Amino acid sequence: MSLVELRQVVKRYGTHTVLDQVDLSVEPGEIVAIIGRSGSGKSTMLRCINGLERVQAGEVVVDGVAVHQPGADLRSLRARVGFVFQSYNLFPHLTAEKNITLGPRIVQGVDPARATELARQALRRVGLEEKLQSYADELSGGQQQRVAIARCLAMSPKIMLFDEITSALDPELVGEVLKVLEDMARDGMTMLVVTHEMNFARRVADRVVFMHQGKVWEQGPAEQIFAEPRTDALRQFLSSVLH
Amino acid sequence: MIREIGAIDVFYMALAMRWTLVLTLLALAGGSVIGLAVATAGASSRGWLRFGARLYVGAVQGIPLLALLFVFFFGLSVVGFSLPPLVAATVAYSVYAGAFLGEIWRGALIAVPRTQWEAGASIGLSFAEQLRHVIIPQAVRLATPPSVGFLVQLIKNTSLAAVIGFVELTREGQLTSAATFQPFWVYTIVAALYFSLCFPLTRLSRRLERTLRVAR
Repeated sequence: MSLVELRQVVKRYGTHTVLDQVDLSVEPGEIVAIIGRSGSGKSTMLRCINGLERVQAGEVVVDGVAVHQPGADLRSLRARVGFVFQSYNLFPHLTAEKNITLGPRIVQGVDPARATELARQALRRVGLEEKLQSYADELSGGQQQRVAIARCLAMSPKIMLFDEITSALDPELVGEVLKVLEDMARDGMTMLVVTHEMNFARRVADRVVFMHQGKVWEQGPAEQIFAEPRTDALRQFLSSVLH
Repeated sequence: MIREIGAIDVFYMALAMRWTLVLTLLALAGGSVIGLAVATAGASSRGWLRFGARLYVGAVQGIPLLALLFVFFFGLSVVGFSLPPLVAATVAYSVYAGAFLGEIWRGALIAVPRTQWEAGASIGLSFAEQLRHVIIPQAVRLATPPSVGFLVQLIKNTSLAAVIGFVELTREGQLTSAATFQPFWVYTIVAALYFSLCFPLTRLSRRLERTLRVAR
């Protein structure tokens, strides 16, 4: 069974249709890159998957939970679905450790000593074990984003959603964050990655989804999407981002 | 009978300071209760609650504190509620502090970025848990320096209660001045005593401003 299943999903803001009957399914272990122009609905689709946005029509089923239904158990679902934001969104009043242990302690009921151990392990995976006691304003953008990833990892998610997580970073800090993603990919994590990093999409993704005008316009294996685009919209998009 | 100003007068004025402090603390307590209600209503998603909060804040901020004091002391006694000066002053200062603290705290609540709520939601926190672990700790940090700043205003403004006969520091000064006929020295001492209360708080407020850790 698919881990993520979107069927005929519609999302509107007022009269503006952001997602127009979107279908998408993601299998366990798959790494899917989502590309497209800004305003094409990539981020909105990602936010619908963990229920940060409500859909107006269609079905969103994630790990067996019908997210689109009112009263869906989003709490336990979100513990299994990691979400990393473009702007990191660390809790600035807490240390890296407390940022990471909040979810396990409050949502999953892990005892404090074990939660601290989970935080240590998660920070080790992103290469920042020495930053356990640091606050966000003591870390670089790249480090903050890696702590944000660790915050998700500590909850042992089944799937990770990444929303343009390198777009706010200085160019020289992009590499350290993408490297963490590649490590996670090697470990078999299921990942949906909204990204403008075409090289990353080409190298790491099993499948690339091109979104255009609120629809999944074209999708397929990375080499096919980049080498043999079938639609004009994708050809134009690729020529504008790859030069 | 005119007499010399002496150590005993300074002692009595220092003693009267405790009523300044009592009134300040009562007003702070009453004002915090009202302020909390005003802040929550003002940051609420319900329009009529926001309207009510705006109305209250607008009304109180548009009325001189002295007029509020007169309303609760002289005004109410005309219609049959004769309140002792301390009670009338506590009510008037609570109404006053409630509006200003409510406005400060509302500002702090809405100053915590929406993305902090989302980050809390994305790790599975409920609405109440987001408030408790993510939003309120940051709002409190944002609100503390201006709240301490307002506390300084409140301490100084309790001197107005002298006009309804409440014997706090300023009123004690008036009495001493009348007895000694040395207003310059008496009010210099009164000023020094207020300063000794307020200046450390102002310094504290500045220091707190430098040590905030909140999302911007």
